[in-house]
Amino acid sequence: MTLLIDFIVIALLIVGIWQFREPLRAKHGNLTAALALFLAIILVLYRHGIVDIGTVVLALTVGAIAGIALARAVSMIQVPAMVAFQHGAGGIAAFLVSLVELSRATPALSLVSEISGVLGLAIGSLTFSGSMIASAKLAGKMVQSPQVVTRHNLLVIFNIAALVIVGTLSLLIPGGIAPYFFVLEIVLGICFGILLAIRIGGADMPVLISSLNATAGLAASLCGMVIENQLLIAFGATVAASGSILTYVMCKAMNRKIGKIIFPDYKPEQTIAKTTAITVQPPKAETVPTDTTDLFPRAVAAIRTAGKIIIVPGYGMALAKAQQEVATLAEDLTAMGKDVKYAIHPVAGRMPGHMNVLLAEAGIDYDMLVEMDVINPDFHLTDLVIVVGACDVVNPAAIEVEGTPISGMPILMAHEAKKVICCNFDRLPGYSGVDNPLYGQENTIFLEGDAKETIQLLQQSLVEETPAQTPLPASHTTSKAVAALAAARSVVIIPGYGMALAKAQFKLVELAALLEQRGASVKYAIHPVAGRMPGHMNVLLAEADVDYENLLEMEDANQLFGETDVAIVIGACDVVNPAAIESEGTPISGMPILHAQDARQVIVCNFDTNPGYSGVPNQLYNNRKAILLLGDARETTLNLFEKLKEITV
Amino acid sequence: MFNLLLMAGVFIASFAIGYALISRVPPLLHTPLMSMTNAISAITILAALILFSVPTTAMEKILGAIAITTATFNVVGGFAITDRMLKLFKGKRRLPE
Repeated sequence: MTLLIDFIVIALLIVGIWQFREPLRAKHGNLTAALALFLAIILVLYRHGIVDIGTVVLALTVGAIAGIALARAVSMIQVPAMVAFQHGAGGIAAFLVSLVELSRATPALSLVSEISGVLGLAIGSLTFSGSMIASAKLAGKMVQSPQVVTRHNLLVIFNIAALVIVGTLSLLIPGGIAPYFFVLEIVLGICFGILLAIRIGGADMPVLISSLNATAGLAASLCGMVIENQLLIAFGATVAASGSILTYVMCKAMNRKIGKIIFPDYKPEQTIAKTTAITVQPPKAETVPTDTTDLFPRAVAAIRTAGKIIIVPGYGMALAKAQQEVATLAEDLTAMGKDVKYAIHPVAGRMPGHMNVLLAEAGIDYDMLVEMDVINPDFHLTDLVIVVGACDVVNPAAIEVEGTPISGMPILMAHEAKKVICCNFDRLPGYSGVDNPLYGQENTIFLEGDAKETIQLLQQSLVEETPAQTPLPASHTTSKAVAALAAARSVVIIPGYGMALAKAQFKLVELAALLEQRGASVKYAIHPVAGRMPGHMNVLLAEADVDYENLLEMEDANQLFGETDVAIVIGACDVVNPAAIESEGTPISGMPILHAQDARQVIVCNFDTNPGYSGVPNQLYNNRKAILLLGDARETTLNLFEKLKEITV
Repeated sequence: MFNLLLMAGVFIASFAIGYALISRVPPLLHTPLMSMTNAISAITILAALILFSVPTTAMEKILGAIAITTATFNVVGGFAITDRMLKLFKGKRRLPE
């Protein structure tokens, strides 16, 4: 029975991981896994009981508060450092538990448990120290480059030998002095973790952090073998599997062997000296077009003429905090009708998948992020590649030159595109120390300097010079709105009192019916104060035959906007004014609003762009997502309905 | 002996199932995946709690309390940040209703 319940909890964990295959389901996967873990804790408390409840509750509370506080505070670029730090915390727990169980030894442990315990001491403590070093490096609190002490390899070998000898002795030696050996084993494990981690740096960090993930899982599993608990063994093994996969994927992506990372057979300083000798092309300075003032306009022209664009983001982009600017530029380019994609190298960033998180944080659709193997065949058909803070991952030397540290590493084939713009800080080689011949290519425009500024300048000069800046004729905005509606799969309508004044709700309902007929889902988002009394808007819409099931209250609607293609604002102003949450000191500051700006596009059918009752100008109107259709809301709706119908028929 | 076999079996089976499933996680989600498995690895909290199921010496109490605190930090922080991260992922691909 006990076993059966254990297996049910393990199955729940597996369901959680199963749900991780799809970005939108992963949220539930995470919660399912959390539930599995919570149930496991409840089970243990129920089965074993707690003698010293005060200490336990205090420790649980402190840990939970610290966990939540840190999880809320970190930004996405700090995630790898945070994850490493947590691995370290898990490592401490693993070796401390093994230590107490081993030295307590009541009831006497079986040999298997003892061996597991000693292994747990070693692996837990190396996970702890290795993770702390990794975290310090990632957080910039330590030199990031690999640090090699004299006779590093020899020290590592001695350390391993010492771990084995002390571990064996601690098993053979009788009770009384054994704990000293256990502590010594922990100290040796900590030294080993340090020796391993300090020698790994920069672009190899994803490998380090992945392997620490695996050892953290292994340590947990070993802990489970000490106390013969199936839940611990199973959960730990799953994590060990995950860490192993990620380590393998990272090694493959960097063309490294895990053994070579732990036991490099060269010293990094020598590597750099050696590889700068293998300069692939003559020094860059001479091959570069001499007139640098000319570069920027050339870049703008290249962007303007390109139809198919691939953006290659690297860790340098994240360091320059340029992802928001890149996202804005890409949005503008898409708005100009260009085909824009992001090419993601597996080791871009500091941990597996890190680049994806950084770009997701900047609000970029994950559909636009394309993995290396998928996008590589497209590069030679691409008009323009924009490299932002990436170097080694686009270095053609990896495939063209033998004998460099990156030779054989798979790269993004940016050099095959018709034109390349590089927005890097400088022309120095990347972490590998190998010069990048891409920079000197004839069709490459190298914009040296801070990526954030460069991208911002590019984006501004593009927008300034496009006709979009001059007011568009009304027919153009209408057709833009119709196109948006025609493509929309989900529409949320935000009615305000202005709609009621214009008596537009009946036409609006017809428009909604047409959209539904085209297969789109249509909902109405109702702000609590829309209308002139509580629930007023619901009544007005019910009157126009809107199904009340389609009326969403503010909280529900706000969760929906992020996944909404088009939000239609009709006669509403203050209730969708982002100033309420973004600006301090206005009459509406702090008022809850409908987050229309979270939708992919916003069609505004208001009479004018004057502020609403509050007198606070509405920033939403200036949002690049907004399509303004000014004038009488009833006529606007009618117009949209007619145009959309033409397409439908 | 049964226990040994059972433990080895559970380890191997979980590793294998975990391996099979996690291989299919798209690279897009690797960071949240690692962040979640990181939280799961703090399952050592179970062992830390069990330490307190019998009377403890002062030393054991201190070490056990540290273990519970760090493991809880790892669990709670790990799941919380994964949740935050996953909420950032927006896409056009829809779930079948």
